Amino acid sequence: MSKRTYNILFHLHTVSGIVISVALYVIFFTGSFSFFRDEIVNWERGHTVKAPEEINLDFDETLEQMSKERNLFGRDIEFKQYYNEQHIGVNLGASKDTLLTKEKAAGAFYYLNTDDKSTTDYATSYSLGEFLYRLHFFAQMPHPFGYYLSGFVALFFLFALITGIVVHWDKIISNFYVFRPMTKLKTVWTDAHTALGVIGFPFQLVYAVTGTFFMLKILLVAPTVLALYDGDDKKLYEDLEYAHPHFEFQNTPINKSININSYVKQVKSKWNNFNVNEVHIFNYGDKGMHVSVSGNLDYKNKINGYGYTIYNVTDGSIYGIKDPTQKTSYLDAVKGIFYRLHFGDYGGYGLRIISFLLGLIGCFVILSGVLIWLTARNKKNIPVKKRKFNEAVVRYYLAICLSMYPITALSFILVKVVNPTGMSLLYQFYFIGWLLISIFFILKKDNYLTNTYSLLSGSIIGLSIPIVNGICTGNWIWVSFEKGYDQILFIDIFWIVIGIVGLLIFSKIIKTQKNNSINK
Amino acid sequence: MPANSKYLNPSFWPRFSKITAAIIGGFIVSILFHLAIASWLDHVDVIITSTYSAIILWVCLMIIAFLAKNGWKIWGIYIITSIILAIIMFYGKALNPLI
Repeated sequence: MSKRTYNILFHLHTVSGIVISVALYVIFFTGSFSFFRDEIVNWERGHTVKAPEEINLDFDETLEQMSKERNLFGRDIEFKQYYNEQHIGVNLGASKDTLLTKEKAAGAFYYLNTDDKSTTDYATSYSLGEFLYRLHFFAQMPHPFGYYLSGFVALFFLFALITGIVVHWDKIISNFYVFRPMTKLKTVWTDAHTALGVIGFPFQLVYAVTGTFFMLKILLVAPTVLALYDGDDKKLYEDLEYAHPHFEFQNTPINKSININSYVKQVKSKWNNFNVNEVHIFNYGDKGMHVSVSGNLDYKNKINGYGYTIYNVTDGSIYGIKDPTQKTSYLDAVKGIFYRLHFGDYGGYGLRIISFLLGLIGCFVILSGVLIWLTARNKKNIPVKKRKFNEAVVRYYLAICLSMYPITALSFILVKVVNPTGMSLLYQFYFIGWLLISIFFILKKDNYLTNTYSLLSGSIIGLSIPIVNGICTGNWIWVSFEKGYDQILFIDIFWIVIGIVGLLIFSKIIKTQKNNSINK
Repeated sequence: MPANSKYLNPSFWPRFSKITAAIIGGFIVSILFHLAIASWLDHVDVIITSTYSAIILWVCLMIIAFLAKNGWKIWGIYIITSIILAIIMFYGKALNPLI
């Protein structure tokens, strides 16, 4: 590589990295926690989901209940399990019966608790798990700016990754084993940044590409629709098999009893280990009624086992079928693998714990990069004014990033003390708390203190989370263990481990600091 | 260790031309490249492939634009490439219409 290329790439890596650093840190931090989104939600609500990945519901009984409140005739009704929670989403399309008044025909969306059959809307069932998950793509910002911002951060993250690996290419093997913790501070950051960066590279590359696609797919879809489909976006979604087929409403009631459960049963008996996660009913109670039962094979059997069967209710025939046991088409493989790779949900707890750790390594690589940036510019030949500015930038960055740890831990306490917390309280608590802690650290003007205090406070709060949970709900760790409350137990232990590791690192930092001051 | 500034562009217009060529020009070329292929081959497979390949190609074209000696030259190259790709796409679309 010529000197010119090297220096340009190096500069591109530096600039793109420093610009996105804080946003990327927030994405990595919340994303790491989001691997356990469903566990956090269930822990918060005190729920235990016994058969994840699947809807456990008596559909016919539910529909009968629903018909007492609304006229279901001629509606499209969808039951969908979005996450491994007791809550499933129920989407009621507007009735196509033109005789109904507008009010009666209106559609609705709500969550149904499959256990106690209670219903909630989005805002009241808002949870800390959902909050952290949505902060991962800045959904709290006005739509769609948060999505686009996180998408472009992901894109420039990919840019920084590629320029970074090319810059480091010549030394990739020789420097892989190099770690010089006893030398000056800058080499410590550099060694950690490059070694961990290389280890995390494949993982981060996948997340950068898939993340960019999730948030910026409009940039790919819009030109394709305009140029190839002459503006007909429905046709594109049909070609990519994202849309349900359309069935005409015939406005004649069906004279037959409807049994959704039997369709679900049929599908499950046809394919072994098939988890039904969506039941979509077209034109309920009408001659044109169809039922689509879709889901996935268990990930243990097949990673891309998406399939469905669509039944014609009037004559009981099968309208369409996608057999998940057959060879997966390229289209389905790409569509499925994007989500599996990004969510890391196909390999049980082990994979998600590794992904969590790699996510935290990402956080570390970002911060060490910022610190390299500072130490490399902290030289005598650089004007004092500029050095002061650089120092302030890093102080703000560190304060904002590191205070996420204590405020996240504190939010876990909040959702147990005030339960259910609700959307607005959670927003205020998290964002105002985050702001206050950040301001405190910024005013203290001491990066060492920011680092140690955030670590210490977050770890102590983290360790107290299982205790608060025990006091508030009675689900102490041994109780959860005995009764098999897997998700509750997991989050409690998760925080104990994080807290202990945090304290160990803290004591290590304190010790080295003491040694250093004695040696001086 | 900051990059040696003798290799970088300090003044406004060279910088501006490179940044715009990288982000906007790179995007246009990357998208048209995939559309051109999609109009001739199995369009569904190409479109779903573009969900990752277009992003990676975009980033690579960004890097190439920054490595160029002259920002306006690379803009010219990207525009000419885009025109060629657009012609290929319109021919393909005329011969294999989707709608």
